[in-house]
Amino acid sequence: MSPSTVIAMLLAIIGLPILMTPVIMYSCRFSEKLRNLLSVATASIVFILSLLLYPFVIGGGEIQFTLFEVLPNLEISLRLDILSFCLAALASFIWLLSTIYSINYMATEHACSRYYPVLIFTLGACQGIFFSGDLFSLFVFFELMSLIAYILVIHEETEEAMKAGYKYLVMTIIGGLALFFGIIIVFELGGTVSLGVGVIIQEVSTLAFIAFICFLIGFGMKAGMFPLHVWLPDAHPVAPSPASALLSGIMLKTGAYGLLRVIFHVFSPEMLLQQGWDNILGVLAVITILLGSAVALTQNDIKRRLAYSSISQLGYVLLGFSILNSNAIIGAVFHIFSHAFMKSVLFLAAGAIIWKTGKRQVSDMKGIGRQMPVTLGCFSIAAFAMIGIPPLNGFLSKWTLALGALDANMPIYVLVLLISSLLNALYYLPIIIPAFFEAPGETSPDSDAGHDEIQFDIREAAPAMVAVMVVLALCTIIFGLTPNNIAFTLSRLTAEFLLLGGAF
Amino acid sequence: MLVSAPAIVLLSGPLYYSSLPLWTTLIPMLVGIGIYLLKDQWETLRKGCALAASIFAFIGVMLLYPYSLAGSVSYDLIDFMQLGLFFELDLIGWIFAFLITLIWLLATIFSFAYMDFEHNRRRYYSFLIFTLGATLGVVMAGDFFTLFLFFELMTLSSFVLVIHQQDIPSMKAGILYLYLGLFGGLALLFGILMLFGATGSVDIAPALDLLEGQQTAIFICFLIGFGIKAGIIPLHIWLPQAHPVAPSPASALLSGIMIKAGAYGILRVSLILYLPAGELTASFASYLFIIGNILMWIGIITMLGGAAMALLQTNMKKILAYSSVSQMGYIITGVGVATFLGTEGGMGFTGAVYHVINHAFFKAGLFMMVGTVYIYTHELELYRLGGMLKKMPLVAVTFIVAAFGIAGIPGFNGFPSKTLIHDAMLIAIRDYGFLSVVLAEKIFVLASALTICYFIKLFRGVFLGHVPEKIDRDYQLPFSVNAVLSSFALIIVAIGLFPNLILEQVLVPAAERLDYAGYAMDHLYHFHFFEWQPLEAMLIVIILALVIYIPAAYRGWFDWKPPWWLSIYALVYRPVTHRLMDVTCRVGVMVDSSVDSAYDKSGSAARTWCSYVGNLDSGLDRFYEKSSIVARKLADRSSDVDTKIDEFYEKSGKAARKLADRSRDMDSAINEAYHKTGIAAKKLAEHTSDAESKLDRVYDIAGERTRAEMEKRLSQKRGKSQRFDPSKWTTKNLSFDTLLLVLVLGIVLLVIFYFGRTL
Repeated sequence: MSPSTVIAMLLAIIGLPILMTPVIMYSCRFSEKLRNLLSVATASIVFILSLLLYPFVIGGGEIQFTLFEVLPNLEISLRLDILSFCLAALASFIWLLSTIYSINYMATEHACSRYYPVLIFTLGACQGIFFSGDLFSLFVFFELMSLIAYILVIHEETEEAMKAGYKYLVMTIIGGLALFFGIIIVFELGGTVSLGVGVIIQEVSTLAFIAFICFLIGFGMKAGMFPLHVWLPDAHPVAPSPASALLSGIMLKTGAYGLLRVIFHVFSPEMLLQQGWDNILGVLAVITILLGSAVALTQNDIKRRLAYSSISQLGYVLLGFSILNSNAIIGAVFHIFSHAFMKSVLFLAAGAIIWKTGKRQVSDMKGIGRQMPVTLGCFSIAAFAMIGIPPLNGFLSKWTLALGALDANMPIYVLVLLISSLLNALYYLPIIIPAFFEAPGETSPDSDAGHDEIQFDIREAAPAMVAVMVVLALCTIIFGLTPNNIAFTLSRLTAEFLLLGGAF
Repeated sequence: MLVSAPAIVLLSGPLYYSSLPLWTTLIPMLVGIGIYLLKDQWETLRKGCALAASIFAFIGVMLLYPYSLAGSVSYDLIDFMQLGLFFELDLIGWIFAFLITLIWLLATIFSFAYMDFEHNRRRYYSFLIFTLGATLGVVMAGDFFTLFLFFELMTLSSFVLVIHQQDIPSMKAGILYLYLGLFGGLALLFGILMLFGATGSVDIAPALDLLEGQQTAIFICFLIGFGIKAGIIPLHIWLPQAHPVAPSPASALLSGIMIKAGAYGILRVSLILYLPAGELTASFASYLFIIGNILMWIGIITMLGGAAMALLQTNMKKILAYSSVSQMGYIITGVGVATFLGTEGGMGFTGAVYHVINHAFFKAGLFMMVGTVYIYTHELELYRLGGMLKKMPLVAVTFIVAAFGIAGIPGFNGFPSKTLIHDAMLIAIRDYGFLSVVLAEKIFVLASALTICYFIKLFRGVFLGHVPEKIDRDYQLPFSVNAVLSSFALIIVAIGLFPNLILEQVLVPAAERLDYAGYAMDHLYHFHFFEWQPLEAMLIVIILALVIYIPAAYRGWFDWKPPWWLSIYALVYRPVTHRLMDVTCRVGVMVDSSVDSAYDKSGSAARTWCSYVGNLDSGLDRFYEKSSIVARKLADRSSDVDTKIDEFYEKSGKAARKLADRSRDMDSAINEAYHKTGIAAKKLAEHTSDAESKLDRVYDIAGERTRAEMEKRLSQKRGKSQRFDPSKWTTKNLSFDTLLLVLVLGIVLLVIFYFGRTL
């Protein structure tokens, strides 16, 4: 595959959704079906195009291409390497499934003619982040995605949603400003912000440290890092469920992606380790993990519980970044994959329950597994993966992360991971067990009804929704136990690329 | 990929490669899932599938026997989960696997009769068979990762068996079981990870010398992980709750088999993993001595505590559950003794494994017998039962056989295993002779006596006495139940009568693999169970039991119910877990909400500031507005002033014009006046010149007259004085007319000035 083809494909991946946005918006006037079709078609084309990059990337290909210069040395450029590919392919896959899921889910919702164009536009912006060749273009796409996603957050337009959206917006702007400041410092120190030149900042200085902190704030805010996570548990639950799945499953990862780029392309891991800056990230990650899990225990709203769980899970990824050795990076990148699958299933299943029964509170969900066995089955698989039950992908990422922690001689991190797993069990099992094993609606379990058959009263959500959940739940199994685990191989190649190759 | 292939093969003998271990594990699991997908109505097909799967597993394990006996069978599923699934079945594993499949088969057959009275059979069979696969996987695992995987699966799937009833006690017990199981699983995982971190592999192979500094931590992790499943005190609390609530065949499997997975793990860890790969130096030996002692005491405490608690129960399944705890104590004691005896530990090891076998048979049998009573009478409480000897004679007979087995009566299967464990302790006393083991041996005897006591109590409660009215019916037991119970009794008696068969066929070869030697092994090769010495020990136990039971039963001590707050659950677990959960949640929420409120506060502070600035802004605005108003007013006024000024100017202009006019008038008037004055002055001048000339003339005349006079006078005076020179003093010099002119001019000026001023 020639570089020019690849560049054309990259442009198509980013440009198509953005260009399709007005088309979809216009098509809303004619028919809902056309709108849905166009949305799904766009998402699928982006997904297919992303997948087509696989042979190029797996062969070790890298591309850095400048579109145009805004100012001298400040350009809008594209970049494709294995890390970009991993996240872009993952994002487009989850996006496609969420879009399909949306068709049924959003049918009963208002303002769909706003929802779909925004959804597709965000896809473009998100892909733009992953394919950005320098920090400046990354920043532009990052802000674009964050700001547009605001519309997804406030979709319901309730008072709660507006409040959460406001919080999201304020935090986004704070993060964006920090990011911008960091980029300016990097530009000042290194004279370039391109990701293709290897390590930009070679020397340690106070300004470099400030830049690091700025990036930590900017990207950490998006990744839900303590203490910048406050927007997340408000914003994710109020959005419509497919959007929540994307917010939690993909958009959080843009923060993690940015941090990874910054750690490896702006600074160098050696420098961070030497200066002990990784400890800042490590401590924050540990707090994030424990805090997210602990607070999730107390939440009764299922989506809020999931949102706090996301905070804790992103903490794993950040922990991997702070350990910075081969296993830890593999684990962190693989956890990005795992978490995207697991959390999407969880949010979509929660969405299906809400859509079908209107129940949001965990305490109301007794016996719901008899009504929606497939949905709850998918939910359970994903939750078990979260807890880290072996043949599922969550275990593999935890195991790899734990090995990384042990390689770095930090058994305390392993302990944190395991405590968090136990807490995961403590907040997921009380959803699953009553859902399957307690009678619906009643206050007590089937007392003295020992010999009655348990009645299944199956009222599943729409077939397309169920299918999406099943596909994702299968992914958590497939990317756990199969020997030819593409996600794991990609994570391993990414870690090798980052640790050994750097850029070019 | 992450796990290196097993480099160290401790166990001697050839290594066979076969995928049979994988299939015996996998097929039951798949069939289990398959059964769940069958329709509810397909009862026969479901039973057939379940039976076929358990028979398949049994045959599979039997086929592996020759290989395991000769060496071990291994199979590596490379890259499964990127870690590789590694099966290895050696003789120790095979013993467990054999037990599992045999008892599972019997339990499955028993379920056919038992479960007809129960609901939700589809789910039951599905999970029953799935759990078979998982449990087999545990003992067939060749490394700790594989073991952990199946261990977790077993915990999860057996949870469904525990809560089968879905009433309040079973849900409570099940949730406790699940959480403790997961906690144990995570402890196990932590241990495995630390092991991997230290040695770079997760193989079950001697690695003590590689675990520098971490061996105690790792051992504690393993002990917690496996100990929870094995039900060692104080981690046993789930067991007496979970085992009684499950359906009886499931209880039989839980108590008979699944807790053995824990014992299996402890055995693997302490007898294989905790051996140095190289030389057994003195420091390692002393470390093993400490570990072994600790294990032995854990076993002794478990044994005694379980037996004492069993004595105080009135629920027959609870008695059996506590009895399981107690019997696990025997097994752990055996492992502990074997650990600290080192190469002399053969006796302890064989005793422990033998007791695993025996306990599996009699405890599974007992649960099914009790279950048979329960399913027909729906009673579990001892004081509501009685007289079953007449109603169910076969059950009673098999029960007596099993109870004799567990009590260790010679001729039944408990006797040889207890004798071996006891002899191992005697060897320890002989070799070391320190107080710890002596004391342990005494407690061992006491616990054995208590075992007999609670079985007397159980037997009396269920089978003796008169039959309560409520359950006074005729009972027809189906053939399958009779067959299963009889086969248990037969096995128990067979092992009891021919104890050396199993010992020589499997146990001694297994012990040889572990490099046991010395006195114990010599003894084991031709062990005589029916000699005076073991029989004497048993006799002491029986006598002690009677001495305890008769007075205690007479005084009703066994009816004493320990208060709830005395239980370990109320004393330790509940406060600790509640406190921990409370603290976790509270701290988490506190931090989270304080961060949130920090943002909110800083936000509202910023808003306040902004509002100040806003106020200032609007103040300025107002100021401008007002000032503009003022300015406008001012402007208005100034324009007024302007017009006024204008007017004023106009007026003043007019005035000025008038003034100018007037001044012109005045000017002309002045002009005129000047003119007139000029004329007047001219006239005056003329007049003056007239007057002058007249004056001139007057002067002239006067002069002439004066001259004449002067001349007269001079003529007069000339004579008199000549001092005055009249020629020097002349009037012409005085010029009187000039003086007059000046005077007139002055007057004219005066006149002009005067007039000018008035004008």
